[in-house]
Amino acid sequence: MTGAMVAARRLLGFWPAVTAAMLIVTAALLLLPVVNIVGLSFSGEEDTAGVLRNYQMFFSEPYYYRTLINSFIVSISATVLALLVGVPAAYFTSRFHIWMRSLIRAAVVLIFVSPPFIGSYSWIILLGRNGLVTTTLADYGISLPSIYGAQGIIFVFTLHYFPFVFLLVSSGLKSIDQSIEDAARNLGSSEFATFRKVIAPLLAPSISTGALLVFIACFTDLGTPIILGERFRVLPVLIYGEFVNDFGGRPVLASTLSVLLLLITTAALLLQRWYASRNAFGTAAVRPLTLQEQPFKKRLLAALFVYTLVGVALLPLVNIIVSSFLKANGPVLLAEFTLDNYQRILGTIGRPLWNTIFFTTTATLLCAVFGTMIGYIIVRRPGRISSFLDTIIMFSFAVPGIVLGVGLVVTYHHPPFAMTGTALILILAYFIRRLPFSVRSSVGMLQQLSRDTEEASVNLGAGPAMTFIKITVPLLSVAILSGVLLTWSNTIRELSATLILQSGRTVTVSLEIFNEVVNGNFGVASALGTVLILLTFLPLSVLFTAMGKREDALV
Amino acid sequence: MTTAVSINKVTKRFDATTAVDDVTIDIARGEFFTLLGSSGCGKTTLLRIIAGFLRQTSGTIRFDDKPIDDVPAHRRNTGMVFQNYAIFPHLSVFDNIAYGLRARGCARAEIDTRVGQMLELIQLAALKNRRPRELSGGQQQRVVLARAMVIQPDVLLMDEPLSNLDTAMRVHLRAEIRALQRQVGITTIYVTHDQEEALLMSDRVAVMSHGRVKQIATPLEIYNTPETRFVAGFVGECNMLPGKVVELADQTATVALGEGGRLAVQGVSGVVQGQARTVAFRPQDAELQPVPDDDTRGLCGRLVDIQFLGGTVRFVVDIGAGAIVHVAAQRRTGAAIPVLGGRYRLDIPPHAVRLFEPAPA
Ligand SMILES: Nc1ncnc2c1ncn2[C@@H]1O[C@H](COP(=O)(O)OP(=O)(O)OP(=O)(O)O)[C@@H](O)[C@H]1O
Ligand SMILES: [Mg+2]
Repeated sequence: MTGAMVAARRLLGFWPAVTAAMLIVTAALLLLPVVNIVGLSFSGEEDTAGVLRNYQMFFSEPYYYRTLINSFIVSISATVLALLVGVPAAYFTSRFHIWMRSLIRAAVVLIFVSPPFIGSYSWIILLGRNGLVTTTLADYGISLPSIYGAQGIIFVFTLHYFPFVFLLVSSGLKSIDQSIEDAARNLGSSEFATFRKVIAPLLAPSISTGALLVFIACFTDLGTPIILGERFRVLPVLIYGEFVNDFGGRPVLASTLSVLLLLITTAALLLQRWYASRNAFGTAAVRPLTLQEQPFKKRLLAALFVYTLVGVALLPLVNIIVSSFLKANGPVLLAEFTLDNYQRILGTIGRPLWNTIFFTTTATLLCAVFGTMIGYIIVRRPGRISSFLDTIIMFSFAVPGIVLGVGLVVTYHHPPFAMTGTALILILAYFIRRLPFSVRSSVGMLQQLSRDTEEASVNLGAGPAMTFIKITVPLLSVAILSGVLLTWSNTIRELSATLILQSGRTVTVSLEIFNEVVNGNFGVASALGTVLILLTFLPLSVLFTAMGKREDALV
Repeated sequence: MTTAVSINKVTKRFDATTAVDDVTIDIARGEFFTLLGSSGCGKTTLLRIIAGFLRQTSGTIRFDDKPIDDVPAHRRNTGMVFQNYAIFPHLSVFDNIAYGLRARGCARAEIDTRVGQMLELIQLAALKNRRPRELSGGQQQRVVLARAMVIQPDVLLMDEPLSNLDTAMRVHLRAEIRALQRQVGITTIYVTHDQEEALLMSDRVAVMSHGRVKQIATPLEIYNTPETRFVAGFVGECNMLPGKVVELADQTATVALGEGGRLAVQGVSGVVQGQARTVAFRPQDAELQPVPDDDTRGLCGRLVDIQFLGGTVRFVVDIGAGAIVHVAAQRRTGAAIPVLGGRYRLDIPPHAVRLFEPAPA
């Protein structure tokens, strides 16, 4: 065999070919759209002036730059508040003998996976101008602060996204060894001092990851600020407005805004990585922190705090389900039981439901196949290309749905790749957004599997492809399945990319809800919302009960 | 002897470390060949190069005179047995063993007969439908062995296959592996750091250290005539004392030990008068003779400790200047036992003493 033939075969081997394919797919669906919006943002297409013209305009017009400030205000406030409630809630639930701890965890998961925009309109039903609570309290002469505008958005964000912090801190606490706390107490630290000086620093990576996730989620959320913001506009809303403007939209301006959004999320991601790596201690608990015996009064106070938090955060979900059975007159719900709402959606839900299930399933399967292969490449074939893939996957996490949507439209707008408005582009958007779930679950498991088993297969004469299918995939089946369930429940409620990429034919359930809310049909929206909550929660209940996963698998 | 595997000047470097350093070995067909060496000396690396999982930095490997360096791992037709079994956990015993045959596209009937024979051979026919997790460690190891042998590999590669088992199982399986290997007549390269295992099982042993082969010989030769100081110290116990050649006649030398004693050494070559050398002999080659205090001929010392180890007794002799010599003897009922604190001469036959390069400073 000649050297050239050997070299050729090395390039054309199974894994090199797969790696190339993965690079092409991720480049086409993630990097190219991002590059295109960056390019577009520097182009003078709409205004003939210099390349920085769009940015200059943004930073000189209060109408524009105000949104950026607003975004920071709500995101930072919500992040701080989520930490303030999430860290103690997780600590109390993990360390104190609180009644119904597993129920609390289940409730947190439920809050976590429910679509955020459902929460916001549910709060309008409760606390809006004609809201149930608002009117009831008004009868007693009590007036509540408005649910609209900045404070409303911050309130909803905090309650919806604190589970990130809760779940991460809970799992972080499990990796601290009891002996560390015992040593601190033994050396004379009080309980609070021990938490502040010993436990909290060890939790720094978990807390900072939680903060990052809350921040990015708040900064890029589109549904909630549209529904609650009224005249208070944040950056994603501005992008959406500019992009799907009644007068045809302004993709150049939308791109400029998208680049700003992306810059901030990426900066936040890098900042957190840097911080976490400086503060990582890599502890592994032989004997994780145990439950503490607390005096009854302390226990009761802690329990009350956790119950109140979870109860309030759960309220909008309960409200949706209840109100789906109530007679509605536009946005006003009447205290009268009915199945009207369900009857009304029966006729129209067919297409969106089918679309949602079809898009989500296809995207999830694609994620499973590609994610497993990428995970394999990252773990088993380390090198420069593999770490590049790893970086792309991490980066995809920083790309907000709305930015991806805009990027895909500007990239695949023209023939021969005109895909805007098709089902395909939605599926691809879902796929690339949720790919990290599958990659991460495969990577996690592969790192623990010795490569001997795969080498044994190769040694017995099975080529790389056959070994992957007959050995690696079965060994990873649990991780693949849990990746699938996570992807499914996270994809099914996607709204921001969907809003940009949809067309009449590709309407989804989450979009229908959004439209009904915007049109003030709260009864129908609630019925649809209940359906969506069920669709989201079903696979997760499989994940937790049948597969015995813990909640922190979610984050 | 027909050469089944020929390893020619193979070197493997990882960044800074040289894991395998210029190794040349020829292994005959049907031979049971062992790589013996301490942890990190490059045994696994060499085995993985032969299996095709690693590419050597330089050198060539041939199977039956055909270079296989460019043959990918799955076409090399080697059968590998891994240290931690690497059994396929999702496949039954039968499917584990059949895996390699299926990968080769064998017909179903042929697979059934060959796997059946193998199951008989390893005496697990009754368990062929079990899952690996329902097997004991020893049974799993036998399945893995069968899985590697059923494909009739050109060479069977075993990487410390017994190190995860308890002592009883290890002793039992090493006999079984050796018997199976003889029965099937398969060329085998066996990796271990257990010298007992190496001496007991092998036709020939290569002693490795820091990636280099120090000696290749039969177990008996390795033990009786180690070529280097390292091999002498690594395989079996050895007393090593610094000395100086003071007389040289024919092939016999007399070495003066630092502590005043003298020893005769037979069969020396390549030494010169006045040269510093290490004197080495096995504990069981020395015998204790009581001597009076004023007798200083030969090598004398005081008995400072007696250790009973059941069948053998070990004597610790202080030969002065802090140097200690170990002597081992069979314990026979009724035999006179030397007295603690007594003065003894060590009688060592000159052909049992070997000279090596002096210890590095
Ligand atoms: N992939 C690698 N990258 C860098 N160095 C390596 C790699 N694999 C092995 N080495 C180094 O090569 C040397 C030989 O390793 P090898 O695994 O062959 O030792 P070994 O003789 O099998 O040891 P053991 O008895 O512990 O299994 C070691 O110093 C090891 O650290
Ligand atoms: Mg090894």
